[in-house]
Amino acid sequence: MSVPLKLIYHEEPTRSIDNDPRKAVIKPIVTYSNISKSYGDLHVLKNIDLNIAPGEKVALIGPSGSGKTTLARLLMTLEEPTSGTIEVDGEMLWHQRVKDKLVKANEKHLHQVRGNIGMVFQHFNLFPHMTILRNVMEAPRNVLGLSKEEAKQRAVTMLEQVGLAGKIDAYPAQLSGGQKQRVAIARALVMRPKVMLFDEPTSALDPELVGEVLEVIKAIAAEGEMAMLLITHEMEFARDVADRVLFFDQGRIIEQGPPKKIFNNPESERLQTFLSRFNRH
Amino acid sequence: MWFDILPSFWEGAKVTIELTLFSAVMAFFLAFAAGFGRLSKHKAVRILATTYVEVFRGTSLFVQLFWIYFALPLFGIMLPKMLAGVLALSLNAGAYGSEIVRSTIISVPKGQTEAAIALNMTPWQRTRLVILPQALVMMLPAFGNLIIEMLKGTALVSLVTLSDLTFVATVLNSSIMRPTEIFSVLLVIYFVISLPFTRGIRWIEHRLSAGRY
Repeated sequence: MSVPLKLIYHEEPTRSIDNDPRKAVIKPIVTYSNISKSYGDLHVLKNIDLNIAPGEKVALIGPSGSGKTTLARLLMTLEEPTSGTIEVDGEMLWHQRVKDKLVKANEKHLHQVRGNIGMVFQHFNLFPHMTILRNVMEAPRNVLGLSKEEAKQRAVTMLEQVGLAGKIDAYPAQLSGGQKQRVAIARALVMRPKVMLFDEPTSALDPELVGEVLEVIKAIAAEGEMAMLLITHEMEFARDVADRVLFFDQGRIIEQGPPKKIFNNPESERLQTFLSRFNRH
Repeated sequence: MWFDILPSFWEGAKVTIELTLFSAVMAFFLAFAAGFGRLSKHKAVRILATTYVEVFRGTSLFVQLFWIYFALPLFGIMLPKMLAGVLALSLNAGAYGSEIVRSTIISVPKGQTEAAIALNMTPWQRTRLVILPQALVMMLPAFGNLIIEMLKGTALVSLVTLSDLTFVATVLNSSIMRPTEIFSVLLVIYFVISLPFTRGIRWIEHRLSAGRY
């Protein structure tokens, strides 16, 4: 099942999973089909079709308000699509089949499918009333039903990985922004999701703290098995980590492809304009 | 003189403290039930909770007490004085308390719920592990005020001849006619009773907010 997609891209740098002839054999872990989202008259996403392969690292770039974050929030079940369907690992996310009819999923169904997804937020959203250790072990303990010892062990291992084993008894308010985001990453990873969403993980950080967080994400990406959706304004980072880059504008995917092509030979005028703003400095 | 009247003040104080404690416990439950009720996704529950809150906030405690003690018997419900007092006080304070519960729960940042959803917690786990512990700390100062308000409100029950502090003081005054001394003592006693409540709440607040800043 876990086809090393990165290899595919290295052989054929212009391919993405969506037009890969082997698409039929690689069963996507996430499929967005004709997804739209609007708030009243504001159309945030317009008929998005997107497949993400198991283990694939997809970077989402584009101006703010282009719909990148909404795309991730729909998958995390934080917001409901206006129309269209999302499948996760072959299961409908927002819908379920009752007697051959597609109906809106209930909480129980969402709970079952959502377990495959994890998310890291721009503003960390750590639980301020819990120590770092409890932040990370609470969900394994209560959601996965692990014993206290197991949950603790898993949490500590994960905190070691993000370099924060020394802080397990601290509270979030005692950490720097970069440390907080590393805890948030550990908290999401400890659930072992198949897909991880990073919603501008470094946008709320002081410039000097961005590096440590990106390093951690790169290390996770290098491990490989987990699919990642990275919403970012760090173009260097997207280039280094992603197998495929999607450029969003006004609720649509305007252009996509391997990082080399997107950053070196952007086709659409809008992407060229967008990138020129980053290359200036 | 003091030697004779202090024991009766003591009896009155016991009634006042009992009233306050029972009513506080009941008001606490009512406040949570109604506070969560107003946030319920079921319309019927919301309407029920809102009706309760609006009725008991919108009428005076004094009238509520009289209604429970003097009007309910006309419908065949006779309540002992103590129970009538606790009921009136707690229904009244519970209505105010529900607003404290509701407003603190909705003031926990939305990102907290989102993080809990992202960790696949069930709605009950989100409430119990993430929202409530944070809301509780914010509730405490307001609940502290409410309990003090209620302690002072207990003076009203003397009007249904429940022998609390105020009742004792009025009775004493009508027999020995020393209003200055008697009501000064009364003031001091109410103040002394309220102190442990204020201190207690502050202590709990301090404990619960450990490490958060």
